[in-house]
This record gives sequence, structure tokens and C-alpha cells, in this order.
Amino acid sequence: MTSTATPAATGARTPAPPAPAPPRRGGTSRLHRIEKRWALLFVAAPVIGYLLFIAYPTGFALYASLTRWNGLGPMQFIGLDNYVALAGDERFHQTLFNTFFYMIGIPVGLAISLALAVMMNRKLFGRAAFRAIYYVPVISSIAAIAILWQWAYNGDFGLVNQFLAIFGIEGPNWLADPAWAKPAIIMMAIWKGLGYSMLLYLAAIQSVPRSLYEAAELDGANGWKKFRSITLPMVQPVTFFLVVTQVIGGAMIFIEIQIMTPTGGPEYSTASVVYHIWLQAFRYQQMGYATAMSVVLGLLILVITLVQFRLNRRNAGFVID
Amino acid sequence: MTKSRLIAGIATALVVASSAAACSSGGSGSDTDTLTFMFRGGDDEKKAYQEAIDRLTEDTGVEVKMIVTSADQYAQKLQAAVAGNKVPDVFYIEQASLQSYVSSGVLMDITDQVAEQGVDLDNIWPYGVDSYRFDGTVQGTSEGRLYGLPKDIGPFAFGYNADMLEKAGIDRPDPDQPLTWDEWLTICQKLTQDTDGDGETDQWGTGLNVQWNSQAFVWSNGGDWTNEDHTQVTVDTPEFAEAIQYIADLTNEYGVTPNPEQAQTLDTYQRFMAGEIGFFPVGPWDMSVYNDLDFEYDLMPWPVGKTGEPATWVGSLGIGVSNTSSQPEDAVKLATYLSTDETAQQTLIDANVQIPNRIDTAQEWAAEVEEDDTLKPTNRQEFLDIAEDYGREMPASFTYGAEWYDELWVGIQPVLDGKQTAAEYLAEVQPRMQELLDQSNAQAEQAAAAGSAP
Repeated sequence: MTSTATPAATGARTPAPPAPAPPRRGGTSRLHRIEKRWALLFVAAPVIGYLLFIAYPTGFALYASLTRWNGLGPMQFIGLDNYVALAGDERFHQTLFNTFFYMIGIPVGLAISLALAVMMNRKLFGRAAFRAIYYVPVISSIAAIAILWQWAYNGDFGLVNQFLAIFGIEGPNWLADPAWAKPAIIMMAIWKGLGYSMLLYLAAIQSVPRSLYEAAELDGANGWKKFRSITLPMVQPVTFFLVVTQVIGGAMIFIEIQIMTPTGGPEYSTASVVYHIWLQAFRYQQMGYATAMSVVLGLLILVITLVQFRLNRRNAGFVID
Repeated sequence: MTKSRLIAGIATALVVASSAAACSSGGSGSDTDTLTFMFRGGDDEKKAYQEAIDRLTEDTGVEVKMIVTSADQYAQKLQAAVAGNKVPDVFYIEQASLQSYVSSGVLMDITDQVAEQGVDLDNIWPYGVDSYRFDGTVQGTSEGRLYGLPKDIGPFAFGYNADMLEKAGIDRPDPDQPLTWDEWLTICQKLTQDTDGDGETDQWGTGLNVQWNSQAFVWSNGGDWTNEDHTQVTVDTPEFAEAIQYIADLTNEYGVTPNPEQAQTLDTYQRFMAGEIGFFPVGPWDMSVYNDLDFEYDLMPWPVGKTGEPATWVGSLGIGVSNTSSQPEDAVKLATYLSTDETAQQTLIDANVQIPNRIDTAQEWAAEVEEDDTLKPTNRQEFLDIAEDYGREMPASFTYGAEWYDELWVGIQPVLDGKQTAAEYLAEVQPRMQELLDQSNAQAEQAAAAGSAP
């Protein structure tokens, strides 16, 4: 805007500039220098930790994936041969399929835990006890749980088949049946994760402003409508968080499989990618090849997570007054 | 403000100092005069080895620190130790890992030192010693350099429940005259019955595990997993298929074994110990448990197929010395003591966990039953016969890695369930196994070329 103010008016009316701000750059004051040093020191710890334990191993792994290495001796550079072998490895493809199949359990688990959270939100007798009970599997040792479930899935006298027998259903020999081994592990994983998701959902539900529900009631909404139009959207951030973390965790599923089906399951039907990686690295001493598989898995997880974040963008700046 | 900064500063210093101390204390290198020996095993082995170590310390003043791990973690821990440059001076080495460890320069060539120390290799089972010989290309022949001494050899014999046979009016099998498959099947059929009249079979002739027992049947029928120089997978031969089909038929056609569900409920090993199974394999490591069962058991030669000769596998575990040991001579001496020291061997034999490593001791041990007929099993000689005559190494013991061998078992369940014939399955799986074996051999070549093998 070109100023056409008269010279006289400009001169007298220019407001005095504010008191000079303390010099920002260089930190000439001693206090500033001391503060800065301490700041750098404190920041150095996690940064060094990151470099040592995340950046360096990742770089090393990327290099190792381009070598032939048995974990003991020297690494031999072979370029992209490992990746080419991966593309043709049927077992690897099978494990990829298995791993993604396991993710079917995620929406099921979230639905159940949301329902549980809604129920736990009411004033029930013994509510605190129920909440604790549902949370116990989360803090229990995964190995102990896997062994327990292994017995429960026993074809002859396991608890699961006994339960089904009440309804007259003859249960299969779960962990030895190629068709039923994966669903068996899915059920166990859902059961284990219920408490954690339920807890997060509970916290989210309780933070939904009451005023919204009241307004809905005034408009004549019934329970289901309130749930669908208020609760569900309001806990969406939690849903997003749980889906992202559970997809990442699910892609790395290993212990359950190693304990419940130590050989990778009937016809390798339960083996996950990490199981295959472990087998190649430590049993067959193909460290280079296993590292290549880990790199591929890592990239896959990264891409999926980025896609999820992208899809969620329209929800991100979502505020409620 | 200054005070909290002071506290924060001290806390940081403490954390840094403790983590630095933890790092350095974790890395205790081999002090002079203390050797490290890493192995896996139970109390019996620990006791026996402690005795061998005590004698070593007496004779040479060298101290030894034992590191014991659980069986399934051993391989990983050893690999981690190698990767971290903290290889124990002396450690267990499996036949199947020998080649890669030698090519990577982890194992020391102990041929000369063993000769210098005057160890009588001729008095140790040749199979045991040769398993740890490697000439850069082939393992298991008497021409290679020596990279380890045997901890033991484990002849995998066949046994039977003597009480059960007696009750059914069947003669004990002749230790010198093996049964044919047909003869044996007839006996199994006689034994499979419902002993308590509740309509359900609760006693079976046998209960086999295809992964560990098929070798005896395949080899005795003239089949094998590979050709002699391990370049060609030969599982799709009629002899091989016959043997596998026979094992599957035992369950499906003749019903002389528990069915897969019953085996999953209580596996056949437990059932044998409970007295429900007539014929079951016996390894030396089983003796200590079986000797305490409430029925009498004894050993017999495996039933024979087309060749008319019994066959079975012999396992082995070796004791190797690290190439980077700071006291190579003492380490070799330790390995020698662990493998051949007489007192230690006696402790192991008394605990009934293995057969003696030394041939003369073993022959004495087998002959003991002539004086004392309360010693079990009576037919100990069978173990020695296997070690001397008809035992062989497992198909994947001397190849570079076992992936090709494991592939056979992954999809074999349908055959055992009767849903697919053995011949069909073997024809399918042979190309996959061949590919993996080719890869394995290629790696062996590259390792030999690139490594520091002599």
C-alpha cells in the first residue's frame, strides 16, 4: 500500500518501536549459553540412542541384505540376488498370505472391545472387577498364554472343543488342521488384545461431552442412533490409533506361532513372515537372505501405515467445540 | 532452579556411568588361565563334565568355567557369541553346522594337537571321529582334518515291551535275526487290542514318528534321500515310496498305531512309557528313563525290508575348539578330557545317558550283562552293533544346511492321513527338495572358496 500520508503526519505519528527483543542468534548472554549447553546435552542422549540403536542397525541391515552371510563368517556382496530369490520363494509368499490373513482379527477385535467398553461404561455391579479381569490377558506373559491355549485347542479334550460340544458341534483338531489352525491363532490373539483396546475405548467414550448426548436425546435419538452418530465418530481417533498399531504389530506376529505350532503349522499354514525370517536366519544360517526379507517386511509396513495416515487426513484437524 | 539442575545433572551422570559399567562388565574377555566351555544338557552331563574338568585342573592347573544353556537356545546363543567375538574356548558343535563353522574360521583345526597329546583316536568310535573331519569339500570321511572330538554317538535302536509280548504269548524277537516287515506287522496286529473290554482300543503294536523313524524303513528297503555325493535327491524311487507308504498304512490300513488325534492327545512316546505300545525306538539317552518303567523292555534289530539288512541312524554331537582361543593347547586338552576322560565317561554311563565313547569301555559295558542280568537293557550289544555295523548318519548331517531335508516333512501329513499316496507326494516334493539341495551345495562351494578353509 503506497503511503500518501503527509510528511508531517508520518513523522509525529510513527509509534515508537517496541523495546528491542533480546538478541536471538548466537546467544551472547552467558545464561543463554549455559542453557543451550544443557539442552544439547539432554537432547544428545536420545539422539545418540537413536543413532546407535536404530539408524546404525538399519543401515547395517540394508547392507547385509545385499550380501550372502551365514551370520558367522565374512559377508559376501551379491547385489540384489537375495531380493530376486525372495520374489520366487513360494514359502515366503505363503507366509505373507498367512500374515495378512491374521489381520482379519483386527476389525473383529475392535468391534468386540468397543462393545465391551460401552458395556463397561454403565453403572454395573462389580464394574471395576470386570475391567480388571478383561485387562489381565494383556499383562500376562504371551508365552504362558500360548501354552495355555495350545492345551485348550487340543482336539480330544481341549476346552474349546468341550465348549463346542455343549452345542453339539464337533470341533476340529484345531492346531493340526490346515484349515483351522490360523483361525485358532486369530481367536487367541483377539482374546489377548481385548483388554487393551477396551481400555482405550473406555477412556475415549468417557471423554465424549455429555452435552452431545443430551442434545441428541432432545431430538429424540434412541440408544443405537446415539451410538452410531455420536460415540462412534468421537472415538475415531482411538480407532485409528488402534488400527495402525495393531496392523504394525500384526505384521510382526511371531511368538504365538513359534509356541503353538513350532514347525510352522500343518503344511506351513500358520507360519508368519517373521517366523520364516527367524527360521532362515538361525536354523538355516541364511542371515543375508533373512535380512532382505526383513527389509521387505519393513517397507511393506511403512507403506501400509502411510496409506492409513493419508486416508485419515480428512479426520485430522477435527475439533469439536 | 540451580538445585534441580544439580540433581538432574547428577542423575544423568549416574545413568551414563552405570550403563557404561554395564557395557564393559558384560564383556568379560577370556582371562588368562580360565577357559570357557559352553554346552547344553541336564544335571548328569554337568556332573560328569565337572569331574572331567576337575581332573584337568589337577593335571594342568587350568581353570574352566562352564556355561550351560537350554537345548533350544543353544544354537542361537552360540551364534550370538560368535557374532559378538566372545566365542567360548570349547563348545558343542553339531554335525550339520560343522562345515559353516569351519569355513567361517570359527573352529580350530585340532588334528596336530590331538596327535601330539597322544589321544588314541582308534579307540574312539570311527563314526564319531569322522563326523568332525572335513577336507574343505567333504565331511565325514577319514581323510579330512579334524575339527572336533565326539561328545557322544547315539545309535538309534528299536525296542519292545517284553512284558506285553509275554502276555500275548509272543516270543521275544531274536537279537541276531531281524523280523521282516510282514512278520513284524503280524505281531503288531496281535498286540493291538482292547484290553479292558470298553470297546476302545487301548493297546497298540507300535507308534512311529515319520521324521525320526522312517530312516530305518527307507534304508532297509534300499532307498535313500540322496545319492552318495549328495548332489541328487532320490526320494522319488519306488523303494522310498514303499517304505513311507508302509508307515502310513500302519495307521490307516492296519490300525496298529494310535490315530493322529490320539497321538496328539498323548504322544506315542508317553504311551510307550505308560505300557500301551509294544514296539518303540530306544536311544541311549532314553535308558535312564526307561530303566525305571514298571515293565521290562529290551532292544532288537529294526525290521527289515527288501534288502534283508536292518538300518538306522546314529546321531552325534561334537566338542569343538575356538580358532580364536587365547590358550589353544589347553583348550584342546579340555576337549580331549571331556570326550575321553575315563572317570567322566564312567559317570555318564552310570547315569545311563549315553554309550561310552571309547570302544574298549563300550565293549566291557556291553559284556557286563553276562555277569549281572539285572542290568538293563539286556541286549546292550544292539547299540554297539549299530555303531559298528548298520548305523549311518542322518541324510542332512554332512550337507551344508538342512533346508532341503526339512522340506520333505512340511507337507507329509496328508500322506500319513491317508489322503494322498506316498508315491504321488514324493514325486511332487522331489523337485523342491532338489532345488534346495542345489542351493545348499552352491553355498558350500562359495563358503569353501571364500572362507579360510585350509
